[in-house]
Amino acid sequence: MEVEQKPNDLSTQKFPLPVDSEHKATVFRVHSFAPPHMRAFHISWISFFSCFVSTFAAPPLLPIIRDNLNLTSTDIGNAGIAAVSGAIFARVAMGTACDLFGPRLASSSLILLTAPAVFCSSISNSPVSFLLVRFFTGFSLATFVSTQFWMSSMFTARVVGTANGLAGGWGNLGGGATQLIMPLVFSVIRDIGATKFTAWRIAFFIPALFQTLSAYAVFFLGQDMPDGNYSKLHKSGERHKDNFPQVLYHAVTNYRGWILALTYGYCFGVELTVDNIIAQYFYDRFNVNLRTAGMIAASFGLANIFSRPGGGILSDAVAKRFGMRGRLWTLWMVQTIGGLLCVLLGKVGSLGASVAVMLVFSIFCQAACGLTFGVVPFVSRRSLGIISGMTGGGGNVGAVLTQVILFRGSRFSTETGITLMGIMILCCSLPIWLIYFPQWGGMFHGPSSKGTTEEEYYMSEWSSTERNKGFHQASMKFADNSRSERGKRVESAPAPVDQGTPSPDV
Amino acid sequence: MAAGGFLLALLLLSCLAASSNGVTFSSLQRTLIVRASPTQGQVLKAGEDKITVTWSYNNTFPPGTDSTYKTIKVKLCYAPISQVDRAWRKTVDDLAKDKTCQFKIVAKPYSASNSTITWTIERDTPTATYFLRAYAFNSAEEEVAFGQTTDAHKTTNLFQVEAISGRHASLDIAAICFSSFSVLSLFGFFFIEKRKGKASRQK
Repeated sequence: MEVEQKPNDLSTQKFPLPVDSEHKATVFRVHSFAPPHMRAFHISWISFFSCFVSTFAAPPLLPIIRDNLNLTSTDIGNAGIAAVSGAIFARVAMGTACDLFGPRLASSSLILLTAPAVFCSSISNSPVSFLLVRFFTGFSLATFVSTQFWMSSMFTARVVGTANGLAGGWGNLGGGATQLIMPLVFSVIRDIGATKFTAWRIAFFIPALFQTLSAYAVFFLGQDMPDGNYSKLHKSGERHKDNFPQVLYHAVTNYRGWILALTYGYCFGVELTVDNIIAQYFYDRFNVNLRTAGMIAASFGLANIFSRPGGGILSDAVAKRFGMRGRLWTLWMVQTIGGLLCVLLGKVGSLGASVAVMLVFSIFCQAACGLTFGVVPFVSRRSLGIISGMTGGGGNVGAVLTQVILFRGSRFSTETGITLMGIMILCCSLPIWLIYFPQWGGMFHGPSSKGTTEEEYYMSEWSSTERNKGFHQASMKFADNSRSERGKRVESAPAPVDQGTPSPDV
Repeated sequence: MAAGGFLLALLLLSCLAASSNGVTFSSLQRTLIVRASPTQGQVLKAGEDKITVTWSYNNTFPPGTDSTYKTIKVKLCYAPISQVDRAWRKTVDDLAKDKTCQFKIVAKPYSASNSTITWTIERDTPTATYFLRAYAFNSAEEEVAFGQTTDAHKTTNLFQVEAISGRHASLDIAAICFSSFSVLSLFGFFFIEKRKGKASRQK
């Protein structure tokens, strides 16, 4: 029984931006704050930014903290690993929470639950307590998933890469901004009169308060979908409350999700690792002072302001001409170049050359992150949340693995570790070659000769019983809107005509 | 363009910096006798306890060895046990890169006879095991000799400093209060959300 009551369906005057049949915006206007689409964008990137600031607030102050808490290199390495490992599981859980409860509640809850860890960083007094606060603070990085999910719910296929890239990139900016903010806040507090060992503790209240306030903004100003919040949509029957085991099943059985999780570990995971190690690297190897080390480290993360969004925009741009195949090729090429630059970074021995290589490396590494999330929204419609969560979690797994193998204790010098990390990037980007969409093709093969359509791909996630109940309607609309992934060269099957709901002209 | 010029300047500067030759520790003679008040294994508190240091020239060396000495700097140095797994405190022969002695106690003009100072341990001295070392500098600000309170292997006569924690009761209370407030406001959110959900069902 299909119940479709949408009296305002045809009029787009309900929304400030032009929208498609799912009411997702078809354009992206970064200067606008218009609810619900652009407002959701700004709230989500700002809250995600605050989580990044908190998670990486410790690294620029490590030269002070390591003396206060009597930390060894191993302790510091372990804390850095802990900071990014919590989010592995949290990101997958967040994906599920978004599928079931909506990004607004899911992210504001997580942000408020992790704020205590940031406040309590001020009172840590041993390597163990330091590790614990970094571990729990790191859970907040799962807001990445809600950001991407939210953007994928608000923006249509043509601009989703751009929206995801900007939201993710400007959020990741926090990892760079914090390397500037924390040393600055620290020096101000110390100049007011506090000793070093107290000043860094007070400094942590700044990211903690910022994080708490952003959670309030998400809750009071945000909205899950263009048509309203989940709780309202569930109760009114407009949105069907999905079956979790089924959502999970369709996520874990889609091999593309696993491949993207691995490759994301070697662009985003590398970015997290560098955020953790780079300030200390410049401080210790080149003997610059704390503020300078912070500035150099910051420039790595600050490149995110244009590099990750650039990746997203690039993904959308190549998709216009080459469709999904273009997105995959560009992703692989950019990530591989990033790997080569990383190898080089470990080899250069002078300060100037190091900074230069690091900057170019940051652009490619972060663009690859943006390009990855130009592909993710298309892997699954039903399990978008969990797939986003898996990919995001995979990013953190990459960070953990890399830090455990290369940057813990004193086995490798930091510069050797960086070169080896570059080699790992090169190897772990190869699986992109294996990603294949039957309706659009893969890197080395065109679309399936059987003429699979977008509808068939997305409908395969729903059983016939579920289809009879009409649960798959949202996926059908998405399939229709995703036809742009064929690119300009029409090799894939023509749009189906006999499908119950007639498809409009593309 | 400006960025390219800036990078080039940085490159040149760093090349210049790398090429200057540093004095090595192994080239220095141990011509100074340094004694300090802490005994082996004593634990001192940062910000409270004092150290009295006495140094003088060792007269058994040939006369004229100290002709180039202009200033003496006494420093607080990490013992090997506090350097383990901490690359930022590493001992390196090139004194420009050596990180063993990171805290300057005093700098005084050189005199061959006994000199003494009493120093209160700075509040931001980290918890670690230490010894004291004095360097003699010539007029070009290069190290030319040294003396230390411990033996050549840095195993004897080491003392410990216990740092301040940096924590205050007010900080502890503020942290706990704000944390509780965050969690409580979350419950507030859920309550508001449930009310809104019920309201839309009744519509």
